[in-house]
Amino acid sequence: MTRKIVIEPVTRIEGHGKVTILLNEKGNVDRTRFHVTQVRGFEKFCEGRLFWEMPNITARICGICPVSHHLAAAKAGDAILGVELTPTAKKLRRLIHMAQMVQSHALHFFHLASPDLLFGMDADPAKRNVMGVIAEMPGVAVKGVKLRAFGQKIIATMGDTRVHPNAAVPGGMNRALHSDKRDEILSQVDEVIADCQFAVDLFKDYCDKNSGVTNTFADFKSAYLGLVDENGNAEYYDGKLRLKDQDGMTLEDDVAPEDYLSIIEEKVEDWSYLKFPYYKKLGYPGGMYRVGPLGRLNVAGGCSTPLADKEFKGFKKLGENGILQGSLYYHYARLIEMLNCAEEIKVLTEDKDICSEDIWVNSNRFNEEGIGVIEAPRGTLFHHYWVDKSGKMRKANLIVATGNNNLAMNRAVNEVARAFIKNGKVTEGILNRVEVAIRCYDPCLSCSSHALGHMPLELTIREADGNVRQVIRS
Amino acid sequence: MRTLVLGIGNSILGDDGVGVHAAQELAGKIKDENIDVRDVSIDGLNLLELILGYDKLVVIDAVLTEREKVGEVYRFRPENVYDPSRSAISPHHFNLATTIEIGKRLFPEDMPGEVIAFAVGTEEATMVTEEMTDSVKDAIPIVVNLVLEELKLN
Repeated sequence: MTRKIVIEPVTRIEGHGKVTILLNEKGNVDRTRFHVTQVRGFEKFCEGRLFWEMPNITARICGICPVSHHLAAAKAGDAILGVELTPTAKKLRRLIHMAQMVQSHALHFFHLASPDLLFGMDADPAKRNVMGVIAEMPGVAVKGVKLRAFGQKIIATMGDTRVHPNAAVPGGMNRALHSDKRDEILSQVDEVIADCQFAVDLFKDYCDKNSGVTNTFADFKSAYLGLVDENGNAEYYDGKLRLKDQDGMTLEDDVAPEDYLSIIEEKVEDWSYLKFPYYKKLGYPGGMYRVGPLGRLNVAGGCSTPLADKEFKGFKKLGENGILQGSLYYHYARLIEMLNCAEEIKVLTEDKDICSEDIWVNSNRFNEEGIGVIEAPRGTLFHHYWVDKSGKMRKANLIVATGNNNLAMNRAVNEVARAFIKNGKVTEGILNRVEVAIRCYDPCLSCSSHALGHMPLELTIREADGNVRQVIRS
Repeated sequence: MRTLVLGIGNSILGDDGVGVHAAQELAGKIKDENIDVRDVSIDGLNLLELILGYDKLVVIDAVLTEREKVGEVYRFRPENVYDPSRSAISPHHFNLATTIEIGKRLFPEDMPGEVIAFAVGTEEATMVTEEMTDSVKDAIPIVVNLVLEELKLN
């Protein structure tokens, strides 16, 4: 029989992220491993279900980025139907996607990243947190909450009142945008754009004062991957894949998303459930590439909207051949993208067709395979489905953004560990530096929705003989 | 006085769905117009908008615990476990206590005055399935009754 226990406060009920650092015999870093919780069995769970259900099922994979999975699944469904969306359906898909980008990026910057940047990485943890930002810079915190709420409201408008969106279906959209709702978005969007610009300026100021940090912290060479539009601008919903190397040389360009397997392979490591994708031609692990805001802006030639494009040009000047390698530049890129997406929301809601009810097309035949690729806030997301003639799922393959960044996040942790552990001496502040490095990539670490517990990062340092030397927890 | 009963969890992630299942059961039992019952699969700051405007909030969720405590039901006040110095590396890691604190600072007028949490102990759920383990399933009627008691509906 289950017992009822009353415990206050809760101390033991929590999960955690794990980093292991393996030292060599001289006490220097040999290897580092960042363990990411990975949901398993999803492919099997999908087998036998109709592909029509996939946008709603996949939206339930994650409580943080449901819209990205929802739209990637709808796009894979479009491909199975073999249809081209109506212009309005495509614009509405873009609208909800841009809204997700704004809300996700705002949450990340204002609530997760800004405390380290505004107070400094060595500030007292009691102050260096979101409450510290609220206490000392309430204007900044309020902007973050408002931006997030703006994006969330558009998602709720388009995706019903429940939180998992059901806005999109294979072939188009479930519901049109009512003109009242459009007007509401339009009445707020200029203030939202101004708040996004404020955030960009805040980070630029940080860069000006801390270029020594931004240029060196978790700074390493890699390739970069992202979607670009027909003009070479950063693209989030459609477009073609582009891959550039550390020197800005284009390795792959104009790759149709459905041909992703021609450039990407996945490697399995026995210590991680999350696979390690890499660029085929450079092999493993040399084919490490980075996705997400830094990946997208490193491969792009510009941004689609004027304010973001102006910021993009300034950003590019900081890197050699337009490539920025420091992990902290993820934040800068994230904020330029947030501005870009807010401006895009304005363009989309001002469009004369946005409230049209011509939002769905059907087809009476099914292709047996469909691939949907989208730039989720955290990076490129691939949904690949195989169906039988009746439209039942035979197989699914997903490569998520956090997976694409798996090699890079491990490398970022390694860079920090090597800077903080020398000849057996572990310098204070290593744990927060590791956290700061991981946070740059905004990983999605768990797909379970725990609201009550706490998930600290646990850092284990092992000697060359395998014995645990030290465990540090946040 | 308006009350929100909120079941949180992911119902395709096995035991993680316990809060959702409990809330769905409660929705069928509670017919009080001042009490809303909802189930959601979100966490962190996304919960904030949902809870604004209520006087009382009752949350049902899964919490990770040791194997021998799977299926046990805990009752506590999230504000008592709030620890601002604990950092988060992912937006998943904003817990309810932090969300409530943020809400209290930014929207003090609209935040529930009382928050009670009921948590069912589970192991880390990583396998996609709609099936729950027996001990967690058995906890549902217990947590349902505890919530009804809490609302003085029993």
